[in-house]
Amino acid sequence: MNALELLENPWIHGLAYGAVLVTLLMTAAGFVSWFERKFAGRIQSRMGPTMVGPLGILQPLADGIKMIQKEQIIPRNADRFLFEISPGLIVFLALGVAAVIPFTPGMLASDLDVGVLYVLALSGLMAFPIWVGAWASNNKYALLGGMRMVAQGVSYEIPMVLSALIPVILSGSLSVSEIVKYQIEHGWFVFWPPGPGTLAFTIFLLTALAEGNRIPFDIPEAESELVSGPTTEYTGIKFGLFAASEYVHSIVTAGIASALFLGGWDGPFGSPVFWMVLKTSVLFLVITWIRWSLLRFRSDQLMMLCWKYLVPASLALVMIAGLFVHFGG
Amino acid sequence: MGYFGATLDALYVTFRQALKKPTTVQYPTEQRERAPRFRASFALTHDAAGEESCIGCKKCENICPSDVIRVAAIKKTSEVTGKARGYAEDFTLNLQACIICELCVQVCPTDAIIMTQEQEVPGFSREDLVLTMDKLYANEKQKRWAWSNATILGEQQDPDRGVPGKEKSAAEGSDGEEKKAKPEKPKKEPKKEPKAEGEAKPKKEAKATADGELAKADGEPAKAESPKSEPSKGELEKVEPPKGPEEAKPVEAQVAVAEAQTPVPDAPKANAVAVAAKVDASPEPSATTMDSPTT
Repeated sequence: MNALELLENPWIHGLAYGAVLVTLLMTAAGFVSWFERKFAGRIQSRMGPTMVGPLGILQPLADGIKMIQKEQIIPRNADRFLFEISPGLIVFLALGVAAVIPFTPGMLASDLDVGVLYVLALSGLMAFPIWVGAWASNNKYALLGGMRMVAQGVSYEIPMVLSALIPVILSGSLSVSEIVKYQIEHGWFVFWPPGPGTLAFTIFLLTALAEGNRIPFDIPEAESELVSGPTTEYTGIKFGLFAASEYVHSIVTAGIASALFLGGWDGPFGSPVFWMVLKTSVLFLVITWIRWSLLRFRSDQLMMLCWKYLVPASLALVMIAGLFVHFGG
Repeated sequence: MGYFGATLDALYVTFRQALKKPTTVQYPTEQRERAPRFRASFALTHDAAGEESCIGCKKCENICPSDVIRVAAIKKTSEVTGKARGYAEDFTLNLQACIICELCVQVCPTDAIIMTQEQEVPGFSREDLVLTMDKLYANEKQKRWAWSNATILGEQQDPDRGVPGKEKSAAEGSDGEEKKAKPEKPKKEPKKEPKAEGEAKPKKEAKATADGELAKADGEPAKAESPKSEPSKGELEKVEPPKGPEEAKPVEAQVAVAEAQTPVPDAPKANAVAVAAKVDASPEPSATTMDSPTT
């Protein structure tokens, strides 16, 4: 039994790829946090990190060391078990989504035949550990932030699922790599069919921002009102895990969106991995760009945007996609 | 669609901004250029003969609005010229309350006190901000000088400044014949570009040939130039005993002579008179010019 045969085993295959993927993603999370700070600095006519390493590129490392060294404070009346488990849970969920992101036809941790469902399920669960941590903190600000997170997460789950349904309906498969293969044959969903694909992609990105708690939908965190929202009482590396999970979630969301709508590893030349990474990076850049351009929504505006516009629009898109498949596709 | 347009506009603005160069100046390693007239701390200067310029006249101490200057005057024989003249035995300037108004620089008859242009003055203790005489003389060598001294500031007071043809008539007229030859010629050069940075240095060299008396005369044209000062100065001549052959002798010269004639404890009184006369000489009409001939 040689190594290649061992990799045929789905368990060993998943474990090996998982280990590689987790390492890569956590490293990438550090790097993109550096990139985001640099980019935000340039937007604001600043320079961002410059001191640690060339161009400050070792800043995430320094931040990590700093966070590990910091004191772990647990509030007196906190629910200790839930308080401690919540940061681990959120990182687990954020990393878990990455299992079905295909870099090349065979290069993914697990080619689930219900990959899209798996992604949506884990994304929907993302609100859960935040709420757990907020509740366990025994802090009013954290509790309010957690409540907002649940309200937002539950609301935005619906348009997210509906917009992710468009590629599923059009391609007729729930497997992420099948969807990518369909796009390579028929054209990227963001361009084709022109109306529904583009709109669905926009809605998916918007809802992913809300799920990931990013500006302009960072109402749960809302520094100006809620100190730091659900993470108010978290210190040191536990807070670091929350912050890292946010970046991991952003990267993974960008990866899923590029697989579902932008044709995944499809590209005119070069290796598939390059195109997948390029598309993910560009999408992450867009997410960062939006973050540093827009202001925070008010809570009622957020709900209005979701229930009055995004849900009806995505429902209509699902109907159009169904008609398209029935008559034309 | 207002919101949608505004969102796109915001995205456009931030993207355009991201392509620009940051405006940050990395402060400790990179220093922003200061304004040409920036001034921060003080220094006491030596004249060209290598002697301390300060004659201990206490004009700076008297004019200081926040009262941070203390001068102890002493009279001794100059090692350079062999003549007796005033010196500052001790000179303390407390930067903690200094308002950087530069009045002390402006009144100095011998250009002894000047300001410096260092980037930052803060210290680690309060004592660091008390400039003793040693620190002030050390600053002369170590720090970059600010743009002005009393002579330059005096020239700025000239109402004819910038008027073609009239510019230096007053200065030349009031200058004594015997002084004209040496100090006047090099002094004119910096006058043409009063904003140049290293200007204080050539001015200092201009006094190279002059002894203490001549250095004092450097401050003279400026004071004599203002038109209001002439009548009051004439009064002053009558009130106080005439001191020498030169007509319209500057206030500073009188003080110096008065100080030389009176014992040291009386010197402050003479200075007070001198400062009052100086206030009279300022371009604004003031209440103290009561017996001016124009009334």
